[in-house]
Amino acid sequence: MELTLLQVIKHVFSFQCLIAMAIGVVGGIVVGALPGLTATMGVALLVPVTFGMDPAAGILMLMAIYTSAIYGGSMSAILLHTPGTPASAATAIDGYALTQQGQAGTAIRVSTYSSMVGGLISSFFLLLLAPPLSMISLKFGPPEYFLLALFGLSVISSLTSGSLVKGLISAVFGLLLGTIGVDVNTGFPRFTFGITSLESGVSLVPAMIGLFSLSQVFIMSETAREEKHREANAIRDWRFFPSLSEIKALKNTVLRSSIIGVIIGMLPGAGGDIASWVGYNEAKRFSKHPEKFGHGAIEGVAGPEAANNAVTGGALIPLFTLGIPGSATAAVLLGGLMIHGLIPGRELFTKYAEITYTAMVGFIFANIFIGIAGMLLARYVTYVTRVPARVLAPSIVALCVIGSFAIGNNMFDVWTMVFFGGVGYLMRKYGFHPAPVVLGLILGPMAELGFRQSLLLAKGSIVSYYLSRPISVVLLVLIVASLISPVILERRMQAKANA
Amino acid sequence: MLRSRLFLAVLVGMLIIAVVAGCGSQPAAKEPAGQEKKGQTTAEEYPNRPIQLIVSYAAGGGTDVGARLLTPYLEKKLGQPVTVVNITGGGGWVGWTQLAHAKPDGYTIGYINIPNMIIGYLDPAMKRKENLESFAPIANHVLDYTVFAVRKDSRFKNIDELIDYAKEHPGELSATSTGVGSDEHISLLEIERKTGAKFQMVQTKGFAECLTQVLGGHVDVLLGNVGEVVGPARNGDIRVLAVMSEERSEYLPDVPTLKEKGIDVISFAARGIAAPAGVPQEIIDKLAEAIQEAIENPEHKKKMEELGLALKYMHGEEYQNFLKAQEQRIRDLMGW
Repeated sequence: MELTLLQVIKHVFSFQCLIAMAIGVVGGIVVGALPGLTATMGVALLVPVTFGMDPAAGILMLMAIYTSAIYGGSMSAILLHTPGTPASAATAIDGYALTQQGQAGTAIRVSTYSSMVGGLISSFFLLLLAPPLSMISLKFGPPEYFLLALFGLSVISSLTSGSLVKGLISAVFGLLLGTIGVDVNTGFPRFTFGITSLESGVSLVPAMIGLFSLSQVFIMSETAREEKHREANAIRDWRFFPSLSEIKALKNTVLRSSIIGVIIGMLPGAGGDIASWVGYNEAKRFSKHPEKFGHGAIEGVAGPEAANNAVTGGALIPLFTLGIPGSATAAVLLGGLMIHGLIPGRELFTKYAEITYTAMVGFIFANIFIGIAGMLLARYVTYVTRVPARVLAPSIVALCVIGSFAIGNNMFDVWTMVFFGGVGYLMRKYGFHPAPVVLGLILGPMAELGFRQSLLLAKGSIVSYYLSRPISVVLLVLIVASLISPVILERRMQAKANA
Repeated sequence: MLRSRLFLAVLVGMLIIAVVAGCGSQPAAKEPAGQEKKGQTTAEEYPNRPIQLIVSYAAGGGTDVGARLLTPYLEKKLGQPVTVVNITGGGGWVGWTQLAHAKPDGYTIGYINIPNMIIGYLDPAMKRKENLESFAPIANHVLDYTVFAVRKDSRFKNIDELIDYAKEHPGELSATSTGVGSDEHISLLEIERKTGAKFQMVQTKGFAECLTQVLGGHVDVLLGNVGEVVGPARNGDIRVLAVMSEERSEYLPDVPTLKEKGIDVISFAARGIAAPAGVPQEIIDKLAEAIQEAIENPEHKKKMEELGLALKYMHGEEYQNFLKAQEQRIRDLMGW
C-alpha cells in the first residue's frame, strides 16, 4: 500500500478531523486552565466520546487535548498564580511576577508562542524520528531515573531567588512528604497513620493546588482592600505577534527547552511536571541576567512553557512505537488507541499507517491551532486580572475544591488541598517559596524507586554498576557540573571585579 | 465595566463546566439521601434509579476500560444508567473501602481486583477492618493470566532453560512485578517455592515500567498478564515463554502453560463485580444475570478479544469458592 503525503493531508483536513482538532484544542485549553482538571483527566473524559468516531479523528482529538491542556494550565498560572496542571507550576513563578507588573499580555504571548514552538518541535520529532528515539528511551533504567531525579533536585538552587537555606528547607519538606505511602519494595505502609488515602502517598495535584492556588487566594484576600491597583493591570501590552526583540531574546531558550522536553517526555518515568522545572533551570543557567528570574523574566516563562509542551510529542514516541506511555496522560491515550483496536507497534506504521500518520501530521496542525486559539483567547482572558478579588477569590476556591475532588472522587483529596493551602500561605508569609515542596514531592519518590531498584539490580558494587552505564556517567557529570558551576562562575566574577 | 461583566459571565460558565466535569460521574452517589425517605426499593422494583459502579483505579487503566466496555450492555438489560466512578488512591483501597461501607441497596456496586484486594486486607501491616465478608460478590468478569516473558534476543528460548538457570544460579536473574501483592509477585513466590528456583524480584509501579525495564535490558524476566503482553509479543519485541493457566491461552496458542511443563502454578489477575455485604440475594441474582448477558454479548466479546482479555463468568457459589480458594492460597504463600 502506497501512502502519500497528499492522502494524509487530505485526511487531516477532512471535516471530522478538523472538528475533532477544534474541540480538542479549545476544550483542552479550558480543561487545562481550570485547576485540578488536568490533561490526564481531559483525555480520560473524552476517550469514551471517541468510540463512535473515525479512529484518526478520535486519536487526534485526544492528542490535541493533551497538548492544549498543558498550554491552558499556564494561562491560569500566569494570570492568577494558580497552575492548572502540575506541568505549569514552574511557569507561575515568573509568569505571575510579570502579571503583577502589568505585563500579563507579554507573559501570555511568550507562553503561547513558546508552547506552540515546543509542541511543534516535538511533533516533528514524533513524526520523523519516533522509532530510533524510542530505543534511546529504553536505555534509561533505574540508575538513570535516580540520577535524573537528583539532577532535577539541583534545580532548587535556581528557584530560590531569596535565601538558599529557605529553599533547601522547603525542598526537604517536600522530600519528607514524598516518603509517605506504601513502600514499593516491601509493601509496608509508611507514615500513613491508618489513613487509607495516604497509602498511595500525598496526592500531588491536590497538594499543588493548595500550595499555589489556595494560598494565592489567602494572599489575594489580604490585599482585597487595595483593589485600585488592579485597574492598572490593563493589558496595554497586548499584541498578536511577538516582537523581533522578543524572538531574538528567546529563541535559544525555546529551542533548548524544546529538546529537553522531548527527551524527558519520551522517558516513561518522567513527564511534563519535571521537564518544566528543568527547562526553567536551564533557561536561568544560560541567561545573561539570571538575577531577573523570579521577578518577571520572560525567559522564565518561555523555558518551562516550551519544555512542557515539547513533552507531549515526546511522550507519544514510546507510546506509538512500543506501547509504553511516556507520561500519565499518554497512558490514558493508550487506552484510547486500544479501544479502536490500534495496538501500538509495527502495525501502527504499516497496517494502520494512514490513521497513525494522519494523527501525527494532524498533531502538527493542532499545535499551530493552539498558537492561534491561544492568542485569540488571550486578549479576553487577561481581563481576569481586573476582576475584583471579592469575586475572583471565592471562584478560585470553588475551582480548587471541585478540582481536587474530581481527581479521584475522594473527599480526602479536598482536605489535602485545604491543608496545603494553609501550609502554602504560611510559607509564603515567611519567605519560603512553595515550588521546592512540589518539586520534592515529585522527585523524591522517583529518586527513591530508582535507587532502590538499582540496589537490587547492582549485584555487587553499586558504584561500579553506576559507572558501567554510559548514560549514568553523563548524568553524573551533569549533576556535578550543575552544582559546581555557580561556585566557579562566582569566583570568576569576583576575580574580575578585583582585577 | 461591560468587560468585567462579560468576564464574570465567562467565569461562571467555567465554574459550571468544572462542576459538570468534576461531578458528572458522581450523581448516583448523592442520590441515596433523597431516595431514602421513599422507603426501601423492593427487589422486584430494582433497579428504579441509576447504579454507581466504583472502579478503584484511574480512568484509562485496564480495569476502567473493561468496566466502560461492559456498562452499555448492563444498562440495556437493567434499564437504568450504570455510571462508572473512579475512586482512586491507596492502591485501590480507597474505592474498596467505600464499596464495603456503601449502603447495601444494590445501587452501589464496584469492581474487585484479585489478588490485590485479598492481599490488601490479609496483610497484617495494613490493619484493615474489611475482609471478604465485607463484600457480596456478584460475578467475575475478566480472568487475565500471568505470563513469563523475555526480550526477543534473550538467551532463554524456553521456560525450562529459564527455570533451570534460576535454580542453578539463585537470585542472579531479575524479574519484574507490578507491585507488592500483585499477581506477578505471588505467582513468582509460588514458582520459587515449587521449583526451588530463585529470582531477584524488582517491584515497579505498573506494567509500563516493567516492559520498559525488560525491553531496555535492565531486568531479565518480564512478568505480566496476557492482555498486556499480546501487543509487544505480536510486535516481536518480547518472547512469551509460559502462561500460568490451566489450558493454553487463545491469544497465545503457541505458548505452553507452566502446568504442561510440570510446574503446577495457576496465576491470574481477576476482575469481578461485588456489592457491599447485606444486599438482598434477589438483587445480587438480578445483577449477576445482567452481567452474564453482557459478558455473553458478541459485541462485548469482540471488543475484549481485541484487548486480549479473557472473559470468565462465574457467579454465586462458584465465585464465592473461587475467592475463598484464592484467599487460602495467598495465606499459605505469604504466611499470614
